[in-house]
Amino acid sequence: MAENEIYARLFREMTQDKLMLEGRKLIRTVGTRKIIDNVDLELLPGEISVIIGPSGSGKTTLLKLLAMLEPPDSGTIVVNEREYTFPSDKKIPPPWPLITVVFQQLFLWPHLTLFQNIKLPLTLRSGWKPGLERRKNQQESVNAAHSVQDNSADASEQRRLEDLIELFDMGNFVHRYPNESSVGQRQRAALVRALVLQPEYLLLDEITSALDVEQISIILSYLKRLSKKGIGILIITHLLNFAREAADKVIFMDAGQIIESGGREVLDSPAHERVKKFLSVIESAS
Amino acid sequence: MGTTFKLALIVWVLGLTIGGLIGSLGAKWKFIIGFPSKIFSFVLSGVPILVFLFWLHYPLQALLGVVIDPFVTAAATLTIINIFAVADVIRGVLLDFPSQYIIAGRVCGMTSAQILVHIQLPIVLRQTVPVLLMIQVNMLQATLFASLISVNEIFRVAQQINAQIYKPVEIYTALGLVFLAVCLPLNGLALWLKMKFTRDYSEK
Repeated sequence: MAENEIYARLFREMTQDKLMLEGRKLIRTVGTRKIIDNVDLELLPGEISVIIGPSGSGKTTLLKLLAMLEPPDSGTIVVNEREYTFPSDKKIPPPWPLITVVFQQLFLWPHLTLFQNIKLPLTLRSGWKPGLERRKNQQESVNAAHSVQDNSADASEQRRLEDLIELFDMGNFVHRYPNESSVGQRQRAALVRALVLQPEYLLLDEITSALDVEQISIILSYLKRLSKKGIGILIITHLLNFAREAADKVIFMDAGQIIESGGREVLDSPAHERVKKFLSVIESAS
Repeated sequence: MGTTFKLALIVWVLGLTIGGLIGSLGAKWKFIIGFPSKIFSFVLSGVPILVFLFWLHYPLQALLGVVIDPFVTAAATLTIINIFAVADVIRGVLLDFPSQYIIAGRVCGMTSAQILVHIQLPIVLRQTVPVLLMIQVNMLQATLFASLISVNEIFRVAQQINAQIYKPVEIYTALGLVFLAVCLPLNGLALWLKMKFTRDYSEK
């Protein structure tokens, strides 16, 4: 049994099955077409679930439904102990940033630098003003961060921010604007913007598409660290090796439905013909 | 001089505030406010300022059987034009505002007010302020038309002085310099704001 899976189970036992992000019988229709067709899915704390499937299979829509960015036509979404049944006339209290999303298109704010993009939500949440300003190099900023008030929440947020910037090797470009940065740099910034908020559920849509192998490896190890801390992570990806390394659970989607789900064996010895065909095409293309 | 700037000030203040309000509301209620405002703005843009001013000054007042101070008529005419020009700009920018930036704010836990203040307004202002400044410069220049309905503004005063001393080169050059002194800094400010804030946001 994978180490993460053990953690996921432990969390579940400790919390008596109450903590999870779950979608039950979710349906989403656009026009006459069912984009999401009666999907059940649960994401446990400490678990990494990976969704694979062809383009247009409804992966991103499912992620938006789970994040409650779009309401399903019908179905239920459970966030920890809170249950939301759709359709609903009630105003739903937003679950963000308890659930945070990093989108494929990243959606960085163009008038702010990457650093300002990362710090803005954090600053607004806590009223805290990060002390990092333009500095010659990253080490300086890390040293400065470690020298500020040690026991306060501010210091811990400052350190978390600095550590993430250091971990993702962003020191050299963190003060650039999004349009002055490469796609890979923007992807890292969008990921750090989400991580620094310490979500309980992190939903990631194709965030490794423009990263090099080294960066993917860093993200992979960081996601594993996060899952060990009890964060539930849902990843949409087309990278099978990344999926193999990361996943506690693999979900294959096609035509708005979950065709097959299970452990990593879904990738190595799938039961369903559609999954076999998709994987063989991907393997041969790569 | 004083009358001209008084007129311009009224046109600027009322045009920007009411125009900003109509533009914002028009983006929110597209059919109730946005559509009529767009139609009115479209029709207005096809009518020369002078014709509109004369129509409000003579036929409308004759139809209504009232006599209104020419200064008020001129202020109302230019204010109406300014209101719909400003509303058009504001509504267009708000309607084109990329919703993904708002979604990104929401998933980061920001409230609607925080998103408005920290995301929407800075981006919208960067796009609109230079354009709005240019419109206000045009409005200042359009105050000259008020002289044609007997408002004693700077151009009419210049005409009166010229009638007495007949020195058109000096008088109208001086008038031009006065406008240059006011409009050039405003145009320069608009250009500077445009260069500083409306950078190319497109990603590589």
